[in-house]
Amino acid sequence: MNSFLLIFSLAWRNLWRNKRRTLVILLAIVLGVWAMIVTAAFMRGMIFQMLEDTVDNLAGHVQIHHSQYLDDPVINNSFDPDSHTISRITHDPRVLMWSDRIRLPAVVLSERETTGITMLGVNPARESKISFIGKSVVEGRFLNSSSDTGIVIGQALADKLETRLGKRIVLMSQDINNEIADRGFRIVGIYDAPLDPTEKAFVFVGKETAAKMVGLKGAISEIVLRLHDTDMVTPLVTEMDQLDHTIDVMSWLEVEPYLELMIQMMDTSMFIWYLIVFLAMAFGIINTLLMAVFERTREFGLFQALGQKPRFILFQVWLEAILMIIVGLLAGNFLSWISVMATGDGIDVSVFARGMEMINMSNIIPFVITFNDLMIANITVAVLGMLTGLYPAWRASRLVPADAITRI
Amino acid sequence: MSHRLLQIFSLWLFAGLSCSSQADNAQQLIRQAIDNYRGITSYSEATMTIHRPDWQRVIAMKAWTEGLDKSLVRITAPKKDKDSGSLLLDDNMWSYAPKINRVIKIPSSMSGQSWMGSDFSNNDIARADDIIDNYTHTLLETKNHNGHKLFIIQSVPHEDAPVVWGKEVLQIRDDHVLLEHAFYDQDGILIKKLTTSEIKTISGKTIATTQRMQKADKENEWTEFHSSVIKFNIIIPKNTFTLSNLRNPR
Repeated sequence: MNSFLLIFSLAWRNLWRNKRRTLVILLAIVLGVWAMIVTAAFMRGMIFQMLEDTVDNLAGHVQIHHSQYLDDPVINNSFDPDSHTISRITHDPRVLMWSDRIRLPAVVLSERETTGITMLGVNPARESKISFIGKSVVEGRFLNSSSDTGIVIGQALADKLETRLGKRIVLMSQDINNEIADRGFRIVGIYDAPLDPTEKAFVFVGKETAAKMVGLKGAISEIVLRLHDTDMVTPLVTEMDQLDHTIDVMSWLEVEPYLELMIQMMDTSMFIWYLIVFLAMAFGIINTLLMAVFERTREFGLFQALGQKPRFILFQVWLEAILMIIVGLLAGNFLSWISVMATGDGIDVSVFARGMEMINMSNIIPFVITFNDLMIANITVAVLGMLTGLYPAWRASRLVPADAITRI
Repeated sequence: MSHRLLQIFSLWLFAGLSCSSQADNAQQLIRQAIDNYRGITSYSEATMTIHRPDWQRVIAMKAWTEGLDKSLVRITAPKKDKDSGSLLLDDNMWSYAPKINRVIKIPSSMSGQSWMGSDFSNNDIARADDIIDNYTHTLLETKNHNGHKLFIIQSVPHEDAPVVWGKEVLQIRDDHVLLEHAFYDQDGILIKKLTTSEIKTISGKTIATTQRMQKADKENEWTEFHSSVIKFNIIIPKNTFTLSNLRNPR
C-alpha cells in the first residue's frame, strides 16, 4: 500500500514536471472527449427529434390496419373497430391513448389547382391528443366533432391551392363501390406543421362526414396507439399481431423502416468517429510519454541501480498515462456538460431550414446525452488510452541500468 | 362528359323556359330542360381550336351521344392524333391512345387536367351533370336579345356540393341557346367564360355552332368549338358506347 502511494505521488509529480507539455496533451484529450460526447449528443438529438416527429406525425407507436391496407391503401381494406380483437388491444393497460381514422388517398380541388393528398377522417377529441394537429392549428379552429362538415388543411397546401380560411374546396376519392365520391368542404382551420411535406400531404375532416362521403358504415382504415413507454412497443406488437390474421399490428419501426436503419447507421458511424478521434489522441499520448521517458532515462537507470524493480517503473509510467487520461476525461465530460446546458433547448439550424426540410428534419435540434453514449465514449478513451500508455511504460521498464546511467 | 359535351355542341335545351320567368322557378326550369333531353341521340362533327400566344392547334372530331349518360368522341385530324378518343358512361371516363394501344380510365386525380390539351378540364367535360341538385338557381334578370328573351340565371353551389366555383352565371335564350356561361371563384372574381359567337338553325333546331372558352387572366389563350354537322334522332348501333368500340374504331 505504501509503495503504491509512493508510486502514485511520484507519477503525479512527474506529470507536472513539464507543465506546458502535460497541459497541451491534456487539452488534446479534453477536446477529443468533448468532441466525442457533443457529437454523439447532437446525432442522438437528431434521431430523437426524427422519432418524436414521426410518432407525432400521425404514426404513433403502434398502428393497426387491415392486413392488405399497407399494400393497397384503398377503402375496401378497412376493418371493424368494434371487434373483440380491437377492443382488447385498445383496452390493454399499456396503451396510453389511441385514435381511429379513415385514411384514404384523395384529390383536392380548388378553383385554380388540383393536387393529390391523403384524407384523414378523424375523431377530433382523440386525434388532437395523439398527434401534432392538436397544437398546430394556427388559423381558425380544429374540427369540433366527428360529424363536423369543415376541413382543416396545411398552410403549404392552402398556398398551393391558392385558397384560404373560410373558402370551400372539393375532395374526391373512391367510395366502397369504386365509384367517384366527392364532396365540398369549407376550410375551418389551417395548421402549421414543422415540415412542408406534411402540410401538403394531409387534410383532416370529421370521421362521420368522411364515412358518409365514401359510404363506409362503421369501418375504419387505421388505429394508432401511443403507449406509456416505447420499450413496451415490441412485446405488445408481437403479442397482439397473433390475435387476428386479417388485422396487421405494426410498430412504428416496421411502418418507418427508414428510421430504424438510420438509427443503426448512426450508432455505427458514431463508433467509427470515436475511433478516429481517439487515434489522434493516442499518438499525442504516446509521444508525450515517450518524450517524458526519454528525458528521464538517467533517472530510471539510477532507480534501477538503487534496486527498484522494473515492474514498479512500468507501473509508475503507466500511472502517469492513466492519471492524464482520468483528468482529461473528467474535464472533457464537464466541458461537454456545460456546453450542452448552455445550448438549452437545442441548436437553431433554421439558417439551413430548406435543406433540413429536404431530409425531413425540423429547425431546432436538441442535444440529447444518453447514459449509453456517455459510457461508450468514456470507456473507449479509458481502455484504449490505458493500452497505449502501456507502450512507453514498457519501454521505460526495459532500460538496462548501466546503459541508462551513462547516457547523457 | 355527356352533359358538358351537349352544352359545347349547343344542345342545351331549356324546355318551358319561355313560359315562366319566376325567380324561384329557375331550378324547375333547368330540371325540365334536362328531363326533356333524355333519350335523344345525336351525331356531330366539330373542330376544336386551341389557341396559345405562340401556337394554335386545330383538332377535328366526331361525336355520338345518347341521352345524358353516354357519349363517344373520336379525333379525325390531325393525323398524329387520329383515332384517339374519349368515352363517357355515367360518371366514368375513358380515353384511348392508338399509339400505345391502351384504354385508360381517367382517374379522379386527373380530373383537373385539361381535356385533349384544351382549356376544358376533364372535370368540366365529365362532371357538369349535377347542375340541378348541387346548386341554388336564381333568375337574376330577363333581357332581350335579337328578338328573343334572354334569361340570366345565377347558380350558387350548395355548401357540400363537389363544385369549386363560388358561383356560375348562365345566359340562356328562350329558344334554349346558351349564350354565356361564366365561372367565378369564391371571391367573385371571373375565372373563365364560355361565350357563343355563332347561332344557326340546323335540322329545325336553333343551336350555337361556335363557342369559345376563355380564361379570364390570359387573354391570348382560348379554346373554340365549331360544329359543322349536327344530326338529331339518328340510329346509333348498340355497341357504340363500349370500351371495345373505343379501342377499335369501325
